Formats: sequence, C-alpha cells, structure tokens
Amino acid sequence: MDALKTLVESCRRGETPYQMLIERVPYARFLGIEAVARGEELLFILPKSDTNLGNPTLPALHGGAVAGFLEQAAIIFLLLEMGEPRVPKTIDFTMDYLRAGHFRDTFAECRVTRLGRRVANVHISAWQVRRAEPIAIARAHFLLSEETASD
Amino acid sequence: MTSRDAPEYTRLDICKRFVASVKHSTLLELDVLEAGQDSVRVRMPYQDKLVGNPDTGVTHGGAIFALMDQAGGLANACLIFPDFEITPTIDMRVDHLRAPRPGHAVVCEAHCYRLSQHVAFVRMSVFEESTDEEPASDDLLATGLATYMRMKLPGVSKVVN
Repeated sequence: MDALKTLVESCRRGETPYQMLIERVPYARFLGIEAVARGEELLFILPKSDTNLGNPTLPALHGGAVAGFLEQAAIIFLLLEMGEPRVPKTIDFTMDYLRAGHFRDTFAECRVTRLGRRVANVHISAWQVRRAEPIAIARAHFLLSEETASD
Repeated sequence: MTSRDAPEYTRLDICKRFVASVKHSTLLELDVLEAGQDSVRVRMPYQDKLVGNPDTGVTHGGAIFALMDQAGGLANACLIFPDFEITPTIDMRVDHLRAPRPGHAVVCEAHCYRLSQHVAFVRMSVFEESTDEEPASDDLLATGLATYMRMKLPGVSKVVN
C-alpha cells in the first residue's frame, strides 16, 4: 500500500493527527496551515503570520496566500473523501474576495458539491471573525483520476 | 507626457518598489522583468518550499495563483502610472492548463485591458522558462482572469516621492 493511502487511512481512524497530511506538503508548511478535527468536521487554520502579508500599510493578508490556503484545504479535504487517495490536481480555481483579510488568524471549511469519479467540485469559505462573515469564498474543480472516459 | 516635469522613476521602478513592500511576494522571490504601458512580466523561480505534491515536485497551484494575483495588481499600476492607487482583487479565476515542470521558473504576463472609473480588468498567462537541461515549452501553464477595485487613497497618489 502506498504511503499516502496509509497516512490517509490512519488519519481517518483518528490514529494520526490530520496535521500530518499538511506537514508532507512543503507549500502548506510555507504558509503555516493547520488542520484540526472538530468532531467529524475538519477545520483549517491559517495562523496570522507576517510572512503572509500583502499590503503592508493596512496591514492585510496577501490575497494569493489566502487563495493558496483555501486550495490546499480543499485538496486535504478531498484526499479524506477519496476511496483511493491520490493528490487531486487543480483544474481551475475561482476566488471571490469579499472583505479585507486582516492581520489575524483565518479559518476555512470545505464543502464537496459533487464528487465524481474523475472530477470534484468543491466550495471553500474563509472567515476571521464570524463564519457568517466570510472574507473570501472559492469554488474549484479538481481532477481526481487520470482514467479516460473509456476506462 | 503632460507639461509636468517628467517623473524620475519608471513603471518598472514603481513595480519593483511595490513588490519589495509586499512581504509575501518577496518570500515568493517575485521579480518584475518588464513593465509596459498596461502590462508586466513577473518571474517566480522554482523553489522547493513551494512544492504542492512532494511525490512529483510540482509547484503548488496556490503559489502560481499568488504570482498571477500580484502580477495583475502591477499591470493596474502600470496603466494608472504616474499616479498610484492600491487595487485590491475583487475576483480571480485561474485555469491550470498543465503542471509546471519541477526545476523550471515560471513567468506571468499580466495585461490590464480595461480600466474603468472603479474597476480594473486583467488577463494573465503563465509560461515556463527553460533550464540548463531542458528547453522551455511554448505551451501555456495557466491562464487567469481577474477584476480589481480602484482605491484612491488621499495623499498616497504617488508611490515614490
């Protein structure tokens, strides 16, 4: 069995913290992403860090850092949903910035709108103060399998 | 150019200074190669810390997204030049046409094709550079489409003074 599948199954059983799925991804460590289980829900956190600052005078988070955070959150979320976990490939990623991302912790949650055999559609929401006041929402498609339609 | 004195700084100066002030962009090692009337070319070297899939070494889509978002903002600055405004992103869509090859730097070309009173509209394309071992492919890596909001900050009309 491959290492990623072993890790995902261990996380699912609660024997390994979800954070281990983050730690294996260099870019996720670069942003400083954290993943914590809340019951059966998964919450993603981007702790405030000056390395993710965009506008220095406001100060505000870099929109690209927030987008990267949400994309990585969706990838981890999908890995845990997939029967045969393989790192999903981003097909497209669409980000709506609703409020300034202030210099404070940012949270994200994912919702899989459709999990097909080859393509998944995921909605991701990010907030800082209240879940009901998102600072950004994203919608993305991921390629889950390289199988052709005839396979 | 108007009858005012010609500014002593260029669009490229403005863009480089802008990027230098953005902590996250300096950590992505973004380098502005060219700045035209309404467009820029921004380079991001291949970096181990930006890898999204440790099994393949492919750069994370989020890092490409951040490069494109920053390049779009610079394209706006070029068209707004010699004035300066900050232009927070309203929305942006990126299509990842194919994975960037490990080891190759990527270059984003961003073009602000419409600047209305309140909104800037930008298109981006991302290509890869050649390495010593492998020539660059002509194929696009990613395309992007974004809108930005123009914010005229009183007293901050010039980035350089």
